[in-house]
Amino acid sequence: MKTIRWMQHLLEYLGGSQDEPPPGFPVSLSNAVFWGLWWGVLTVVILVFSGQSSKFIYIDF
Amino acid sequence: MLSKRQFVLALAVTLAVVAAINVVLALLAQRTLPRRIMRRAAESPSAEVLAIGNSLMVAGFHESSFDSAAGVPPAHAAVNLGLGASTPVEQLLLFRYAIAHGMRPRLLIYGFYDFQLTDPVTMTNADLIGNRAILYYLEPEYARRFYSLTAHDAVEFEVMRFFPMFVERGAVWSKVEEFRRLLSQQGLPARRTNQFGRASDFSLLEASSSEEFTRHCDSARAAGLASPVEELLRQARAAEIPVAVIEMPMSPYHLRAFYSSPAWPAYVSHLRSLFAPYDVSFVDASNWVTDGSLFADNLHLSPAGGQEFSRELGDLVRKEFSLQTSAASTPQIPHSRESRP
Repeated sequence: MKTIRWMQHLLEYLGGSQDEPPPGFPVSLSNAVFWGLWWGVLTVVILVFSGQSSKFIYIDF
Repeated sequence: MLSKRQFVLALAVTLAVVAAINVVLALLAQRTLPRRIMRRAAESPSAEVLAIGNSLMVAGFHESSFDSAAGVPPAHAAVNLGLGASTPVEQLLLFRYAIAHGMRPRLLIYGFYDFQLTDPVTMTNADLIGNRAILYYLEPEYARRFYSLTAHDAVEFEVMRFFPMFVERGAVWSKVEEFRRLLSQQGLPARRTNQFGRASDFSLLEASSSEEFTRHCDSARAAGLASPVEELLRQARAAEIPVAVIEMPMSPYHLRAFYSSPAWPAYVSHLRSLFAPYDVSFVDASNWVTDGSLFADNLHLSPAGGQEFSRELGDLVRKEFSLQTSAASTPQIPHSRESRP
């Protein structure tokens, strides 16, 4: 249960709804490089999964 | 809370990640199908026969079967630059690209089906995906003469074409789509697929009913050739390249449901009249392959069907077209330097 709460706290921290990191998480809010990398990863994930599945007829490209 | 300085630094790191992704995509994009076809065109200057068209040509024109039947020597083997999901605009661009890279074919084979040669090409920026992404990088400004975009889409186009993550989004999304389809098939009977995707999807490329098809025939009889088709024939004529326009083999279903309508031969007759100003031979191959098992779906020949069709076409070319005439004059097709394979 503690682990689940910790994971929830971590996800909320990464998602921006909490300003304090969970206990033991080494990245603080002032770590600009980490947050830049995290936002970059989110951008890429959004790009990868934002395709419209109904659009595809041909999948030979 | 991030200070302003830390926020700017974080944003800079984000942009660096996005830039790195663009570099990786630009490198991986060299393996996309349009670019492979462009490389093929550039590496085949001695081809005597050039085949272009959409996926029906990709599936139906089997180079070695054609060459054997037509008697084309290996050093001058035919090359198939068919591109799936392409419109006449992309087909024109690939023809120009081949000529600009030294190809001097003795014959251009142009396969079509239904109203492809007369329907106007309409696109939105969202349509420029997958194989059609070629319109972002192969003579993009020249190609824009043959299709129009809304003002909004035109701005999007001009911004997006410089970023591989937008240009090649279809290549990324198709992998995700394949994964989605794999997951959605779990526990279900396997769906019939072919080299292009799910076989049943291609019924979406046919008319929804015989009546709709007949209405389309009737309205298309008032239409001229689509502008990119006209331009392609004009440039082939200027280059003294004879053109054979092939009505591609259609499945028994398609023949029965659509081509059996009296409106279809009336449309084809109109189409033939449109070819009059050009050096075009028209070949009705729509009923050459009568065995339904030789079709992968309602539109595309299977590999075995493609070989049979190509052998028959090669036989016809050997009898009707002389590929041993004196060398054609050097084509004078102006081309821009915008292509970036």
